[in-house]
Amino acid sequence: MLELLILSYIVASLSGLLVGSISMILTTSRSITFGLTLLHSILGGNILGIYINTIFNLAVPVPLISTIVAICLSIIVGELVERGFPEDISIAFSVSIATTMTIVFGYMSSQLSSLAISRAWAYIAGTSAISTLEDLFKIALTSLIVLPFIHLFYREFKYIAFDEDGSKAMGLNIRIYRYTFYSLAAISAAILSSTIGVLATHVILAVPGVLSLKVFKRFSIPFTYISSIGIMILGYYIAGLLKIPPSGGIGLVSILTFLGVVAFGRHS
Amino acid sequence: MVGELVVKNLTVRFNGFKALDDVSFRLDSPFFTVVMGPNGAGKTTLLKSILGLIKPASGTIKVYGFDVFKETTKIRRIVGYVPQVININLHVPMTVKEIVAMGALSKTLPPRILDRRTEEKVEKMLELVELENYSEKEFTGLSGGERQRVLIARALIKNPRLLLLDEPFSMLDFDIKCEVAGLLSRLFTKLSVDILLVAHELSPCIAYDPQVILLNKKIYAIGKAADILRLDILKQAYPGVTEIPQGFIIGEDHA
Repeated sequence: MLELLILSYIVASLSGLLVGSISMILTTSRSITFGLTLLHSILGGNILGIYINTIFNLAVPVPLISTIVAICLSIIVGELVERGFPEDISIAFSVSIATTMTIVFGYMSSQLSSLAISRAWAYIAGTSAISTLEDLFKIALTSLIVLPFIHLFYREFKYIAFDEDGSKAMGLNIRIYRYTFYSLAAISAAILSSTIGVLATHVILAVPGVLSLKVFKRFSIPFTYISSIGIMILGYYIAGLLKIPPSGGIGLVSILTFLGVVAFGRHS
Repeated sequence: MVGELVVKNLTVRFNGFKALDDVSFRLDSPFFTVVMGPNGAGKTTLLKSILGLIKPASGTIKVYGFDVFKETTKIRRIVGYVPQVININLHVPMTVKEIVAMGALSKTLPPRILDRRTEEKVEKMLELVELENYSEKEFTGLSGGERQRVLIARALIKNPRLLLLDEPFSMLDFDIKCEVAGLLSRLFTKLSVDILLVAHELSPCIAYDPQVILLNKKIYAIGKAADILRLDILKQAYPGVTEIPQGFIIGEDHA
């Protein structure tokens, strides 16, 4: 039992690392709305994956399908913005596609099997409080892919967020860097949704970045990671105490932290 | 250094509308030139076209002999760009050192580590723009004039031959505008860097006797301020103008 608990906390810490790596860039580049869009795409992709696996009796990893769907919809947003469409309209277009997928394939899956619906719910609310070795493997592998890339291109992501025109003038290929980040964020969000759930990922995505920008601007990178890991571990602990899924605990801690930041911001 | 900026029959369209219409001019080095025109006259479009960031419907631009649309890499090396401060995202935590280093690091490959040599160059540039000991300060904590100086230092760190500035006087008090104009004039003389800036207001620069381009989608006049800022010429470029504006403040400053 203790081993399973330790495993859950290791999964929580690694999930925190992943969230931290994308949260900072999403917050500073004012792309939180995009991040939330990404999660709509992930949910649509998850439901599509479940439907495909159910109807064709396949075992294609659902996170793979959701990652592909999220990357495709992100590229649609990016291309629309590049072609002069306002960002909010481009995001709304992408969300409408993702939501339609969720509704249509969710309904079709429910007609096929009740098991499909319970699997879909697991992606929304997250898996059980006890993490598995498979969860650990997925999160560790994703971290190994995402974290080095995020830090390799961190300066570019930061420059582009700070001054897009100036970055273009210096010769940075904004489109390539933007799509690289979208892809890394999509992979992270897809894997997180299969462990802590789409809703919890939704809630936690902005909090570490906002917290570090408001409270520890000077050391924003380490603080984003520390706060992100802290929220995840505390979320798992509270979930254990209240006997609710980890996503519920993470959600509670995130909301309370966010309220704290708002209160702190008002007084500082 | 002898060279030139040659813009020939440049037409830029956005969604069918002409932002620039058959613009042609030539500036021979050394030049300190101010592009003036009403809002929507295509001033920023002209700067971005010179940088090769906007593809024109027709026309050519050559900077010191290099075609900006074909030899983009060379253009990036020899042209420094200072964007409008209004387009800077102040939510991103950046120190002065990081920002100025941006200009130098653009020549390297990721992960673009800030080494000792780059740090020394940053210090030198900050000295040049009279911001010694500012390298560790947060950009958001600086005044408008200081921010403008930091962005100028960033553009200068790669030793450009041409400096393009998009509304460097916007959102500044008049005395600070004059300080920035004075700094640009000193850089023009000291570094022999050609300067092309977009502004709504000529008065901060007037003491340095700049060349003026009057633009409103088309070029209406090029020459010294005293020669071209005449009511008969201004009336063509600025529909509705009935008298010479005080301080040559024409159009809206982003203040």
